[in-house]
Amino acid sequence: MLLENLRFIFDRRYTDTLSSKSDDPAVREVVQLLKQRGRSPFARSIHVRMVDAGSPNDVELEEGLMMSPRVDAERFGVHFVASPRHADVLLVTGPVAKNMHIALIKTYEAMAEPRAVVAAGDGACLGWEGKANYALAEGTGKVQDVLHVDVAVPGNPPTPYQLLAGMLKAGAALAKKSEEHRK
Amino acid sequence: MDGQTKQFIRALESSVRAGSLNDSSEKGGCLFFRVLPKYLIPVCRACMSNGAVFDSAFVSSADQGRGEFNVYYLFQVAAIHRMVAVTSRGSAFDALSETVNAALWDERKIQDLTGLRLAGIPDSRPLLFHPESGFPATHPIGGMPFKRPKNNAYPMIGTGVEGEFEVAVGPVHAGIIEPGHFRFHVLGEKINKMEVRMFYLHRGIEKAAEGKQADGILPLIEQISGDEAIANSVAYCSAVEQALKIQVPKRAEAIRAICMELERIYSHLADLGGMATDVGFTLPASRFAVLREDAMRLNAEVSKSRFLHNQCIVGGVRADLDSVKTAKIAGTLGQMLYALEELERMVFTSSTFLDRAFQAGTVSRGIARDLSLVGPPARACGIHSDLRRVLPYSAYAQTAINESIEKEGGDVLSRFRVKLAEINESARLILLLVSNMPPGTLCDKPSAPKKRTEAAVGVGWAESPRGSCTILVEISQNGAIKRLACRSASFRNWRALEKAVEGNIVPDFPLINKSFNLSYAGTDM
Repeated sequence: MLLENLRFIFDRRYTDTLSSKSDDPAVREVVQLLKQRGRSPFARSIHVRMVDAGSPNDVELEEGLMMSPRVDAERFGVHFVASPRHADVLLVTGPVAKNMHIALIKTYEAMAEPRAVVAAGDGACLGWEGKANYALAEGTGKVQDVLHVDVAVPGNPPTPYQLLAGMLKAGAALAKKSEEHRK
Repeated sequence: MDGQTKQFIRALESSVRAGSLNDSSEKGGCLFFRVLPKYLIPVCRACMSNGAVFDSAFVSSADQGRGEFNVYYLFQVAAIHRMVAVTSRGSAFDALSETVNAALWDERKIQDLTGLRLAGIPDSRPLLFHPESGFPATHPIGGMPFKRPKNNAYPMIGTGVEGEFEVAVGPVHAGIIEPGHFRFHVLGEKINKMEVRMFYLHRGIEKAAEGKQADGILPLIEQISGDEAIANSVAYCSAVEQALKIQVPKRAEAIRAICMELERIYSHLADLGGMATDVGFTLPASRFAVLREDAMRLNAEVSKSRFLHNQCIVGGVRADLDSVKTAKIAGTLGQMLYALEELERMVFTSSTFLDRAFQAGTVSRGIARDLSLVGPPARACGIHSDLRRVLPYSAYAQTAINESIEKEGGDVLSRFRVKLAEINESARLILLLVSNMPPGTLCDKPSAPKKRTEAAVGVGWAESPRGSCTILVEISQNGAIKRLACRSASFRNWRALEKAVEGNIVPDFPLINKSFNLSYAGTDM
């Protein structure tokens, strides 16, 4: 039993090897983004607070699987934190429900500058089409109607690798913001 | 109508006032009793004293805005394997929750949706709408103007013991989870009382479906709860198929069942891993996460979607499972079961895990019956709640299912055991269905809807990973949705969580919560 347990801990076969020749375009994008990323600490250590503002929990499950041993986003510096005070990136899923509007704004306001907002999932990026819904913020629940969105990750829901690519883009956006901040 | 059903109706008639049950009909496994408003609650209570279990209560507008409504009270009757719907039309009703505790949230939701005031309801606080976030101008169902409550407070009252203090948690939590508010009334570490406040994710799904064509809103149904996409779709499709009298081909039924079992497997793997995480036993937790990712990748190979989206359509299924796919399923499941066996050994030989899980978050059978608990939490306290057996639907009518029941317990450990056993049972079912795939078409195109004088009603149900979900549809003459009403498993079970944590300590709450693994989105809709 002990031996088997140790094998799990040290055996790398559980984690995917990323290749620029992968069948999955999202994996290719992740490899590309990893090659391009700069030396700024913001680009290499991405601390994320997520707020589910109205998604049907599928994006949350994919966020969880992004941290699972198969994808293991932590190896690229992506880390989920408990408080918005510790976070650089706000990961919002949607559409934004009216009852979550206040909580979403308060979470954003609790974050320190520089900060970036990622809208993940079709609900967050596009809202719900059709006539205005009484239960959604601004009628359609688009995150961009509530907060300034830096990176949009569409998908129904986006896969773990698409989310990871979004996180890396958010890191790049943060690095740029901190550069501007210093000037 | 078979003999047992007739016997049930006779027993019902003898326990209510003569003449109140004149109007009854049967449609696809569902018995409808249309009664006058004054007989509604007596008939409901007579059903329950004849062995019916409260399932859900729904409302729809009867005349668009003049204040008349249809109400539907649904009951599961295991003895006759049928759903019983007691319906009534009127402008004033009594509350069932005055005597049946389980109906409270259903009736609070009815009040919020319509503006009706149900006489005798024990709790009249708004459920769907949060005073601090604002109210809509009109009620979503029926369009009556919204009467704002005089004050905006949402009182959450403790037990009144001296020295008790409150711990407020949420809506935004520390982990990767959905929003909801928990108010703990604590004395030291012990929880005296806990109250949940949900509906932060209320997105008006039921309203958004109105006026759309019945076969066009499946993407919306998948938005009810992401990891119950197939179960909700099957419940919805069977409701529409019942209303429009569409026959589903045998092969499509088998594919639906395979998808539902795949969904149960990946969902339960997440729960088991979550429970291991919450006792701090990270090694099996990460192994479970690996298995779950593999299950999701299997889903993607089977249906092009990691969440089995877009697979179920009205009248059948969209894509076939050919022999290549079924071989892939069988292969992956075999590996998964092998790994699971090892994990089972790892978890059940760990004193740390057993110590935390044993007798934590216990739900007594009495409370479970009082709240009409559904799904694995109900089975963990010995209640036969599996709709695949209680009200067999789709392919399950021809398949024998071993229901996973824990006779004693009702604690976290029992729920863990039930979910583990259900993964094995689901895998067995999938292999059985795959080896006996009936030939035939995937979808019978619905024939042109016949002219009807009034709206058709259909009730559908399915056993989602979290328990039974029930969907009611009213379809107007032109085939558009007049009313979609849905009650998911989580909606039933949240109030049991409140009871389960009483007497436990606050640090055990995440573990107890994970052992229920309720969907916030599925509750709030």
